[in-house]
Amino acid sequence: MIKESYSVTGENQLLKAALDGDKKAFGEIVTRYQKMVARTVKGMLGDSVFAEDIGQEVFIKLYYSLSEFRGEAKLSTYIQKIAVNLTLNEIKRRKRFFSMFSQKGNNEMYEFEVADHDTEERKEASEIVNKALMAMDPKFRIIVTMRMLQGYSTKETAEILDLPLGTVLSRLSRAQGQLRNILEKL
Amino acid sequence: MKPSEIKKLIISSLSVDADPKEASMRLEEEGISYDFSKGFGDKILDKLFSAGLTINREVEFVRSMNFAFYRIALTGVAAIVVLLISIFLMQGSLSFNSFLGLSDSYDESIVCLLTGN
Repeated sequence: MIKESYSVTGENQLLKAALDGDKKAFGEIVTRYQKMVARTVKGMLGDSVFAEDIGQEVFIKLYYSLSEFRGEAKLSTYIQKIAVNLTLNEIKRRKRFFSMFSQKGNNEMYEFEVADHDTEERKEASEIVNKALMAMDPKFRIIVTMRMLQGYSTKETAEILDLPLGTVLSRLSRAQGQLRNILEKL
Repeated sequence: MKPSEIKKLIISSLSVDADPKEASMRLEEEGISYDFSKGFGDKILDKLFSAGLTINREVEFVRSMNFAFYRIALTGVAAIVVLLISIFLMQGSLSFNSFLGLSDSYDESIVCLLTGN
């Protein structure tokens, strides 16, 4: 039986219904996790239409790989891994393209539009964060995105990025230094 | 919150002993939040349930075609440049005759070449 609303349904039931081809169940999964994916994709690529495309790809890939999800990790971790992989692939693709056809620096590979905010202060805050993130090396930016925007612990970050805990800790410390230098110039 | 305070908050959120959840919540309160545009979910559902996998594959195909095209174009331009340089070195000029390999040929010598006499 197809339910009218899945807003209070548990994750396992949602997954089962989505696997059975229930459009509404998958729609509920998108609604629940789209903000989380947006933080990763837009934090890494900038707030642009390209980031929206990658965001859509994340959920399309999720849909076609739902049958492979064994439930060993949380669904959010699984989605986050897809988002991270697609985003890093996109960065590699852009880097390759820009190194071949453009003299532009790494920062110009990304673009962002600052969303409308209710106050000038909030707009400025958003601009500072976006500019700082885009100026960072992608391998540090992903660590900052996971921690600062997603609120993940070092252990969770290591699990999502498939990195040893020590590597995450060392990158976190180097990211902090790089971010401090960038913010001083802003 | 002033820009200097935002910067401090960003830096402190990366400290190992900071609570990442609390820091991200504070940043969100200060307007650092991300979301996709309206109708994002509907677009995905349309792609998945109306046109199926085809659209996704088409997008992938167009992307790889674009990339392949650039690679081929770049290789082509490099080949043309090499050809021009070799013509210039061999013929001493870049005239039309040099391109055709006729720089030192006269009508009579062409006839000789063609007839073998």
